[in-house]
Amino acid sequence: MSQDTNITDLPRSADAPPDGDVPVRNERDAMATLRRAQQLVSDAHAAIEEASRAFGRDGGAVSASGVQARLAASETERQELTGRLAEVEHQVGRLMTLYVATYQLHSTLDPVEVQSTIAEIALNLIGAEQFVLLLMDEEGKGYEVRLIQGGTDTRWQQTERYTGGDSLVDAALSDGGLRFGPSEESPALAVVPLRVQDVTVGALVILKLLDHKPAFVKEDHDLLDLLGAHAASAVFASRVYSKTARKLRTLESLIRLVNKG
Amino acid sequence: MVEDSKLIHKMYEVMLRPNTLLSAFNGREGLDKLGQSPDVDLIILDINMPKMTGLEFLAQVKSNPALAKIPVIIVSTDGKEEDVARGLQGGAAAYLRKPFQREDLLRIINHIEPKQSAA
Repeated sequence: MSQDTNITDLPRSADAPPDGDVPVRNERDAMATLRRAQQLVSDAHAAIEEASRAFGRDGGAVSASGVQARLAASETERQELTGRLAEVEHQVGRLMTLYVATYQLHSTLDPVEVQSTIAEIALNLIGAEQFVLLLMDEEGKGYEVRLIQGGTDTRWQQTERYTGGDSLVDAALSDGGLRFGPSEESPALAVVPLRVQDVTVGALVILKLLDHKPAFVKEDHDLLDLLGAHAASAVFASRVYSKTARKLRTLESLIRLVNKG
Repeated sequence: MVEDSKLIHKMYEVMLRPNTLLSAFNGREGLDKLGQSPDVDLIILDINMPKMTGLEFLAQVKSNPALAKIPVIIVSTDGKEEDVARGLQGGAAAYLRKPFQREDLLRIINHIEPKQSAA
């Protein structure tokens, strides 16, 4: 639209109102519409001039350095947002991993399945190629070697009970703290104590990572922490359930015998 | 997804929402599932599985004209260069080593050609 809009361009029929809200009924209305249109055009011109000044125009000439500065600022902002988005995506993935590990640990009350889940987490989510799972025996007197994965050294293969001797494992079982190695007295890369109600009910001893995984990464620490707490409670709950179920079956058998007699 | 770990099944289920997933725990079961529902867009495949390994499954899929165009991503703890080469030579579109990050899996999936245009 231009400022020199001619009145003859305006419709004269009341049946066909022009663009806008004002219907044209006669010439007086048409003049009023024209004045309103001119006012709108004038306002638009003022807005364009203000926008031009804001965008870096100076007396009609575009300031190249101003535009470049704005483009550079936009690019920096874009890169910053992309970085933040990637970080958020990464955190979402990390939380999903932790959620799935927790979900799976507590999805069963079968002690064998819980052990199997611990092994799957160690292998698939942490990348442990060789590891040993120690669990406290049912009398609470010592630790049994419940799972050996990935051809560990003979010291672990030849024993069914852990009687001590590995300084890192001993320390973790003693004070319940996560330990990282290896050290001169221990080949273990990490010892994760499994603790529930301030009692260490076992430990996951990681002896070797997969060849394509050179070292633990930041996310592994979260998973190791999670294993320490949730694997322990999952093991504990499954054992209690299995013991109770066993007792229940025995009692039911006794009742059946008594009823028969 | 053809994978023997329940944990990883759950992981895919969470990571790949809202896609519809078909689950198989070994290669043989995977072939059965594909026989019933051949119109899948993508196969995510483990290597070390009981009954039929991932590589055996891959060979069967690629030799079947009705299934050969479905892109296959191998996700495995086997991470040696020769493992990767074997998988890719067998016809896999990509190879991802476990443990993996969600964004790595999504990046690969987004770069995979749809099966209609795959070779």
